[in-house]
Amino acid sequence: MEGTSVLQATVRVEMRGLNKRFEDVVALDNASLSLQVGEVLALLGENGAGKTTLMNVLSGLYRADCGDIEINGQPVHINKPLDAIHQRIGMVHQHFELIGNFTALDNIILGQEGSRYVIDVAGQEKRVSELCQTYGLHVNLRTKVKDLAIGTQQKVEILKALYRGADILILDEPTTMLTPQEVDNLFLIIRQLVDNGLTVVIITHKIHEVLKVSDRITIMRRGKVICTIPTREANEAKLIALMMGAESSGDCQESVTLTDCGEKSEPMLQVRGLTVKDKHQHLVVEDVSFEICTSQIVGLVGVAGNGQRELAEAIAGLRPIVAGEIALSGKDLTHASIRTRLSKGITLVPEDRIRQGILPHLTVSETMVLGAHHFLFKDNQIFDLKAVEKKARAGIHEFDIRTPSEKTATCKLSGGNIQKVLLARAFLLDELVGIQLLIAFNPTRGLDIMTTHFVHNKLAALRAAGKSTLLISEDLDEAMQLCDRIVVIRASRLVGDFTRDCYDRYKIGAAMVGGEG
Amino acid sequence: MSQATLVRRVPIQKIAKSLLRGLVLYGISIVVALLVNSLFIAASGGNIIDAYSKIFSSSFGSWIGFGQTLNKWTPLLLGALAVALGNRGGVYNIGVDGQIYIGAVFATGLGFLLADVPIPAPLIVFLVLLAGFIGGGMYAGIAGYLRAVYNVNEIFTTVMMNFVAVFIVEYLATGPWNDPIAGEAITLPIISSAHLPSLIPRTGSHLGILFALLMVFGIWFLLNKTRLGFHIRAVGDNPVASEVGGVNIRTSIFLTLALSGAIAGLAGAVEVIGVHGGRLILGLTPNYGSLAILISAVGMASPTIILGWSAFFAVFFVGSDSLQRSISFPAAGVLVFQAVMFLIIMWIRLLHERGSLAFLGEKS
Amino acid sequence: MSFELLVDPSLLQLALLMSTPLLLAALGELIIERSGILNVAIEGMMSVGAGVGFLVAFFTEDHLLGSLAAMAAVALMGWLLGYYGITLRANQLIIGLGLFIFGLGLPSLLYRIAFGPQMVAPRIDLMPSLAIPFLSEIPYIGPVLFDQPLLVYLTYLLVPVLSFFLFRTPLGLQLRACGENPRAADTLGVNIIATRYACVIIGAAIIGLAGYFIPAIVTATYTDNIIGGRGWIALQLVIFGRWLPGASISGALLFAYIEALQYRLALIAKSVPPQLFQTLPYIVAILVMIQVYQRAEKPAALMQPYNREARG
Repeated sequence: MEGTSVLQATVRVEMRGLNKRFEDVVALDNASLSLQVGEVLALLGENGAGKTTLMNVLSGLYRADCGDIEINGQPVHINKPLDAIHQRIGMVHQHFELIGNFTALDNIILGQEGSRYVIDVAGQEKRVSELCQTYGLHVNLRTKVKDLAIGTQQKVEILKALYRGADILILDEPTTMLTPQEVDNLFLIIRQLVDNGLTVVIITHKIHEVLKVSDRITIMRRGKVICTIPTREANEAKLIALMMGAESSGDCQESVTLTDCGEKSEPMLQVRGLTVKDKHQHLVVEDVSFEICTSQIVGLVGVAGNGQRELAEAIAGLRPIVAGEIALSGKDLTHASIRTRLSKGITLVPEDRIRQGILPHLTVSETMVLGAHHFLFKDNQIFDLKAVEKKARAGIHEFDIRTPSEKTATCKLSGGNIQKVLLARAFLLDELVGIQLLIAFNPTRGLDIMTTHFVHNKLAALRAAGKSTLLISEDLDEAMQLCDRIVVIRASRLVGDFTRDCYDRYKIGAAMVGGEG
Repeated sequence: MSQATLVRRVPIQKIAKSLLRGLVLYGISIVVALLVNSLFIAASGGNIIDAYSKIFSSSFGSWIGFGQTLNKWTPLLLGALAVALGNRGGVYNIGVDGQIYIGAVFATGLGFLLADVPIPAPLIVFLVLLAGFIGGGMYAGIAGYLRAVYNVNEIFTTVMMNFVAVFIVEYLATGPWNDPIAGEAITLPIISSAHLPSLIPRTGSHLGILFALLMVFGIWFLLNKTRLGFHIRAVGDNPVASEVGGVNIRTSIFLTLALSGAIAGLAGAVEVIGVHGGRLILGLTPNYGSLAILISAVGMASPTIILGWSAFFAVFFVGSDSLQRSISFPAAGVLVFQAVMFLIIMWIRLLHERGSLAFLGEKS
Repeated sequence: MSFELLVDPSLLQLALLMSTPLLLAALGELIIERSGILNVAIEGMMSVGAGVGFLVAFFTEDHLLGSLAAMAAVALMGWLLGYYGITLRANQLIIGLGLFIFGLGLPSLLYRIAFGPQMVAPRIDLMPSLAIPFLSEIPYIGPVLFDQPLLVYLTYLLVPVLSFFLFRTPLGLQLRACGENPRAADTLGVNIIATRYACVIIGAAIIGLAGYFIPAIVTATYTDNIIGGRGWIALQLVIFGRWLPGASISGALLFAYIEALQYRLALIAKSVPPQLFQTLPYIVAILVMIQVYQRAEKPAALMQPYNREARG
């Protein structure tokens, strides 16, 4: 709002000194933020910067360990989402909280239907339609949400908040799954909201959009609020630098060739034209081609949700492929079963440790050998628990896994120790059949410093032993530290390829977020 | 980072404490269950003390009673093992009664086929039992196939197949295999050399319990010592992680149901040649399958724990039978008894897990 | 066997009659499952409804009291399922199976206690048919549709009523939300616990009435295994009908028709063992469900106990 000086702007929300820890991880570090009436504030930062956590505290999903919040000058206690709703705060999460089988109208009025006995559908529809008119949100209220386009679903979430009288609307990564037209549409809507006096917070990592739609920009990094600047004083280079904590360095020759294993190593994993669709027939991996050499760690980085998971699962054999080839050391494995891939040395350390990784009620030993067990015994049909436990003890010792014993139920272990078990499993497989390709997906997420170092050392050891690793990581620093090459994935395609001598935090960040670099 | 700090030996006191806690928990459960069940006894017009003493005396007090208890223990144990195997593998086999029947059909059928074949008795017994095993396995395999390939809920298919099995047996027992002298729904006996010899003379107990005990070992061995058993347990615990580990989920589910049914089928064969003198009768299984579900749940799907609980249930089964004669306590009372016992035990166990029974100390 | 046999009016009338307990039980189960609870004890509940209802009807000679008793007894079972499944967060499948077995034995026990061994089975008067004037005189379909006991009309009326309740009232909306996404509903202030308890109790009462239907309208006596698998079929009818009240009707009619047809076929084809026909409804049920399981869309949160503290 051009004409308003800073002194005249009314502060609606004041957040002071918020701290939040999850186990060993510091998510918020003395974060403070103020929100003004009638403005669009962009919260900018990398993966894990703390933007979503900060807003989750405001919307009642999390409770901060300490710090306070004032709304319109009054201190408030927000302990659960309903409290936030009463404070007229509405949040549209990245993963919508909608009921797919309900109509848009049903989703909007649930819990506040406006009458006790019979829903006055026409009346409610009218009320909501008026909201739609005021803010430029066009939704077919009678359609089931699961049949609506993502962009429209998002409007339903916004209407949910508006229907409950929200003054403050938080949008978490709102443009991730929108088409460009839907994005433009969203920005128009945001402008409408703000013109009507609302405060809108956008959590994002997309620089162009930030510059287009916001009034002020707050940059966060590693749980801290770095600074807040008015948008008119910002430009892309400055923002990327603030976000990544690095300036733009000089020019560097980006690696153009896909195959350049050098003299001492040879291609191990070859992926050509890989294309994967999700269950709604949307492309999630599009024509991806790359190679990993022996003695090499290749990092796949990108903003979460851009196709990494589907790519990893496709290579591991968990997901069917629509097109493309996967070959290991020249041998085609495109349609091989998971068991075959394991026997050839492809192993996945999964992203979702609990859901995809462990056998919760079976013992730690059994979880550790799952996958490697096919190769543990000479006689295929026997399962010698003693031998299993022996291997497990060795693994527990080597990976310093904190567990009462190798017979403990796996679900009792902490997240970090579970991760170690999964890693131990990969190394056990290496011992038995020899890893040819390790796919490590966010292996150090949520781990403390010591354990992270430990994992890094293990990965380096693999590399030294001549193996290939695909490291998928949300932590760019980790990737830059460990990897010989970094490829960037954005919107299901590979968009950047950097070799070690060319690592430039700024450039890589730009590729991740869509800047020009 | 020495070994000693990582793996703490569990001290004896702790083991003793948790054993004691277990005993107290189950003790309370059983007492409460008995109290609730006495209401039913009283309602039937019986004297409670009398009734309970009769229950125990009839199952333990005499040799015949003891033999009866052993005989009832066999199908309950086998049935519960079948259900438990299914549970461990992530499937719910509600069709044990049907599989018992079909196993019995196969056993009887083979018995008729081998009538004139000169084979030594032990071999015939073995073959007849094997037939039961295979028959039950094939019958449950249908449900397993439908679940693995078409994702049809196995609870439903096995239950429906229970009804079909009853009709098949009814047809055979009243029709082509019927023994007109013996009764309406009883078949002719199969060759007498196939009958199970008795275990303890003059008690009426048959060898079947030995096979059941063998099966306890067999299941334990399968689950804990074989690769297939590991796959079954892994799929039952987390199919997604198992898939990541290269396990074929569909094969595992199919085999789990088939094996489960096979064990039940074996029980059917045992009943035919052990209890009913080589005859297939309608009513061969007085709800053993349903009781097996309860026993498996109470026994937490563990073969060794089921060993104990099935014996306990067998005692009450025989006891209720004798109550039926003395105070006209109806046969259906057994189901009520056992179900109440089950519900009470689960109740206490759940309260404990929730931490509501603070006086017992923290949950392990 | 001719075409006329297959559409014989008395056969159709019987089919409509026999479809009622299936449909009514399915409606009760639908309410329960829509709120997010799976009730596999339905066969045992119908059994209790039949037994308790029969006993009360016999001694009071009043069908209304019999109905109410059936509903009350099974409502109690529903509460029990709710207590274990909602409050104690037990495995609903296992508890349901236990209640199923309990429900098989209890009415049998009560019956024996009440009557002791009997030579002649005690009977109650069947609920009479209520012919709707004028409508029941329409040729051919009149008697089929409009000359049925009151409970049949009530059951079929319940379908649109339940539909209306579920899809046009605030309570219905909240109920469905509990079964779809309890977390979202909880965030918006819906009381998940209370809603689920109410549903399981009311749904069970309806199932109890469905059970009472059999002795009260079909057999006039009570025998063991009187329900004969109808509870399990009703359970599948809910899935067959994609958790919509109206869509279960066709399934109920189909199964009832086959059941009614089976008696006729047995009478005609005397050389074929009757048991073959008796297996038909069950085998058809399995075949139908193979198709259904390929496509069904269940309430997203069915059978998952709701724990507000759990990280999603």
